[in-house]
Amino acid sequence: MDKQKALLFASAAGIRLLLFTAFPSLPAVLTGRVELSTPVTSFKRLQEGLFLYTHNVSPYDGGVFHQAPLLLPLFSLLPDPNRYPLATGLLYIFFDLLSAHAVTLIAETAVSRCSRLFTSPRKDSQYSSTAVAAAYLFNPFTIVTCIARPTSIITNTFILYAIANAATAKSLTFILALGFASYLSLYPILLFPPLLLLCYDQTATRSQTPLSPTSFTLSHFSGLTATISTLLYLSYLITGSWQFLASTYGTPLLLPDLTPNVGLWWYFFIEMFDSFREFFLGVFWLHMASYVCALCIRLRKQPLFATVALLGIIAIFQPYPSIADSALFMGLVPLYRHIFPCKSLLYLISPLSWSFLSRLTHTSPLVMRYSFVSTAVLLYATLLGPSFYHLWIYAGSGNANFFYAITLVWSLGLIVVLGDMLYAVLRDELEAERPELKGKEAQQI
Amino acid sequence: MAAISTAILALRRDRRILKLPPYLSALLIIIGVTWLLLLPLNAYSRNTYVSENALLPGQVHTYFGGSEHNIFRAYRQEVSAISEKTPEERKESLVDILSSAGLKVGTQKFKYGVSGNEVEGENVYALLQGPRADATEAIVLIAAWKNMNGEINYSGVALVLTLARYFKRWSLWSKDIIFLISSDSTAGPQAWVDAYHDAHDPRYVASLPIKSGALQGAVAIDYPAGTWGHRFDKLHVVYDGINGQLPNLDLFNTAVSIASGQMGIGCTLQRMWEHNDQYLPRLQTMLRGMLNQGLGHATGPHSSFIPYHVDAITLQTVGDGWHDEMSLGRTVEGLFRSLNNLLEHLHQSFFFYLLMQANRFVSIGTYLPSAMLVAGSFTVMCIALWVQSGRPEDLKGKVGSTDEKSPAGEKEANTPKMVLIKGPGSSKAIVPITMLGVVERHLFLPFALLTSFHFLGLVPFYLFNHTPIPSLTTAFIAFTIVTLPLPYILANILPRKLTKQELMLLQCFTLLLLGLFLSALATLNFSLSLLIGLLSAPFSFIRPLGTTDTSSPQQKQSSSTTPIPPKFSKPMQPPPTSNPPTSSTIPSKTNPRTLILHILQALLLTALSPPVVIIAASSLWNVPGVSLSQVLAMATTGWWIHGLWTGVVVWLVWWPAWFTASFLVGAGAWF
Repeated sequence: MDKQKALLFASAAGIRLLLFTAFPSLPAVLTGRVELSTPVTSFKRLQEGLFLYTHNVSPYDGGVFHQAPLLLPLFSLLPDPNRYPLATGLLYIFFDLLSAHAVTLIAETAVSRCSRLFTSPRKDSQYSSTAVAAAYLFNPFTIVTCIARPTSIITNTFILYAIANAATAKSLTFILALGFASYLSLYPILLFPPLLLLCYDQTATRSQTPLSPTSFTLSHFSGLTATISTLLYLSYLITGSWQFLASTYGTPLLLPDLTPNVGLWWYFFIEMFDSFREFFLGVFWLHMASYVCALCIRLRKQPLFATVALLGIIAIFQPYPSIADSALFMGLVPLYRHIFPCKSLLYLISPLSWSFLSRLTHTSPLVMRYSFVSTAVLLYATLLGPSFYHLWIYAGSGNANFFYAITLVWSLGLIVVLGDMLYAVLRDELEAERPELKGKEAQQI
Repeated sequence: MAAISTAILALRRDRRILKLPPYLSALLIIIGVTWLLLLPLNAYSRNTYVSENALLPGQVHTYFGGSEHNIFRAYRQEVSAISEKTPEERKESLVDILSSAGLKVGTQKFKYGVSGNEVEGENVYALLQGPRADATEAIVLIAAWKNMNGEINYSGVALVLTLARYFKRWSLWSKDIIFLISSDSTAGPQAWVDAYHDAHDPRYVASLPIKSGALQGAVAIDYPAGTWGHRFDKLHVVYDGINGQLPNLDLFNTAVSIASGQMGIGCTLQRMWEHNDQYLPRLQTMLRGMLNQGLGHATGPHSSFIPYHVDAITLQTVGDGWHDEMSLGRTVEGLFRSLNNLLEHLHQSFFFYLLMQANRFVSIGTYLPSAMLVAGSFTVMCIALWVQSGRPEDLKGKVGSTDEKSPAGEKEANTPKMVLIKGPGSSKAIVPITMLGVVERHLFLPFALLTSFHFLGLVPFYLFNHTPIPSLTTAFIAFTIVTLPLPYILANILPRKLTKQELMLLQCFTLLLLGLFLSALATLNFSLSLLIGLLSAPFSFIRPLGTTDTSSPQQKQSSSTTPIPPKFSKPMQPPPTSNPPTSSTIPSKTNPRTLILHILQALLLTALSPPVVIIAASSLWNVPGVSLSQVLAMATTGWWIHGLWTGVVVWLVWWPAWFTASFLVGAGAWF
């Protein structure tokens, strides 16, 4: 088992190293893609901030750099990426492997199938934790993101560690990881309620004495506040002013930079009259944040799924989403093997034999219904996105509407995946409660 | 609403629906082709019009004439004199002439290495700083020293030199004008325009010593008449850019309206010397245009400019008539006066169009559906195959029957569970529950095979871009001979035979990818997408005949006489040649009909394989000077110098799809 995992991690690192070294111009090309680098995560902008920082100028002067200040000392330790690109590459590969390790930790807890309040009737159907990690590591979107080196990779690692620690009831590390993630990118703070529920459930199953929900919430909340405050104070010490607050957290909140990305905000706010801007900023943020409560209540029995669904929603409705966010969401989807309609590609790394494949012919229940449609939509968007961007920016024969249309399709694909999973999970819950309904047509109201 | 959704739910279980997709797919292709054939009709195409108001074509008086004619003749003598010198001396003379006209002159050396072959030369160019310009915009006048046919462009170069001298005297230019004399028609302009935009590889191409602002347009002159001149009949306007990109239609329209409207010179395009504005010549022009666009090669010095979003055309003189060099000069003057008027980059008119005559075109909105329908036909079949692959096999329980025979392969059911489905109105149906179920799909093997076939495409791609040009033809023929039987061999040496479901899924995936690539390509290069779509249309209808029905590979021998469900074994001929046969006979392995169909399928696939199509097309081409070796050489030089993507599409999209289709036929045979 461990040998398998080592092999997997080695091959994943190998592929990334190969891409970094065999195509030296690839990282620069991918870094320039708007689908991968957003104003708040771009590696190029990080370089700019780093340059200013090492020359003792405030990195937030000039309005290009919008990332967390603590990244600066970390990256200033590395050699110049223009001369020694491999060092930076190795750091990002390391973060990717850490993420994959967190994914295996989540998969090993099996909390996606049986938690404190819920046990899926299909709980026997699962992928091994190595297979889930492989799905994360070999997802082309994850690989491409790693080569493009946005800082969202670091956020993703912290988010995954927060989930993993919540799922294993390690309160302290959970709070630390979530604190770091929220400090880096702001939006992970939305994951606090579902992850708190997850952590509470997991702690409650393990502890003999009953837990008080109020004190649990209060202690974790104060812990998170303390973590974030400490990090912010450290940042203040490093940069010497509170200027970073407006730049790092004001940018996603107020959307001053309208560089195109795969999300839904930029085009909308380009078109908008300035007098409506504040109102719609409020509406858009409220819309995204409102899912937190709703999902936590409806999916109270499966807090991990509430987290995954929320990650999907964040990947779609964030102010500056990128493929990195979608890759994180897609990386967690294989945890829900029991609601998949088909054998997947993951046999690639599980012990593979032809006879093993041929034995698996039992009919599986109909759960996720649109997997083919959503895959096809995402594939179409993946191909058409860059070609429409090319028509708009380089060939000059298209315009912004082309690219925006395709980002809508991309979001639609993600929404179909998310909605389909949500249906399947609720259906699964329904069948756990009322087994007599198994196999019957049901309607979602 | 609820009634409709239940009706649709009831409908999707209908077996007839599952029989429909092949017909639907064939129908889509037929509609796509018919659509294309309708385009030349008056009702579907439009007259061209100049959309950008600033251009005002033909509204100015042109003054090129009189004593300029003598200067032109002197320059022509000079050009023919320097044509006998070495390239180095030639460059010196051109630099002398241009700088004596009072222009800033620059030169640029380039030397490309293409598959062991060297393409080198030196461009000479001069910059006229517009008296009213602020060096932010420029237009380019090009004369290649040698035209596309390799003839020396005596009068073209002389005309550019004369115009350079003439333009210098005017005070009305509000854009800089660059006069470029490139040493050849393809590599030279490419090197120059790459270096102008700092996109060149300094190992092969030198940087430019002088530059101006953003290029707004480029016009190339191809007039190879020698020392004694030659009066021409028509202007041949060449407009195809690299990778099928086209210049803005306004530039073309302006050139045509100045030439024919103001100067009375007829315009022609796509080598259609005779054009009587009837249906057939229009169709022929359009198809030639599509072919040029689809191949995406350089068709003149202007081609290299278009990928940089610089609208460009070449004016080529053809035939014997009464127009002389001065009319051409005045046309160019008029065209430059129009471009000089531009306030912003050409953007008003169309970038995607098909021309069928100098003043007739169809725009993207009208023609795109035909390529999309063809690409869509793959997706229809792909969805159908996906649904079919998930259907339980051996369904013997009939809809609404009271037959108690349980469906085979079901674990728990001795009596099949029935479910009531309400149809529209009061209609109801009882169907066995297994019909509603979906069998587990085994995606791994089809996916792995598909991926490896696509990676296999890298082999020919690498091979034909790295083999030295003299041995390309041999390599190509050897490759053809090796790869034609390869999929059949591969299908039969796999460690185990694929199940029917896996074959279906393999076909489903390959069609999905093909549809995907082609619809993405249709937005970039419509013609290439349509060409490849039509050539691979039969891939949707290929069926691995004689596949056994077993879900387990171990049983492959036992069921050689099992009747195959008619929906899967029904052989289809490629559209649009004929409709699918509707005979209800069930072919099996022993049936000689199956064998014949097998051979037919294999023959058809062989005829449509990319190497065979390339060989056939290049040998049947009636344009002189097109042979297989030249086509291959053009493809490799195109890839190295111009960044031509046609090879990528052929070897990494079309070839793998063909390979998979042949593999499917091979996997069905010899069971």
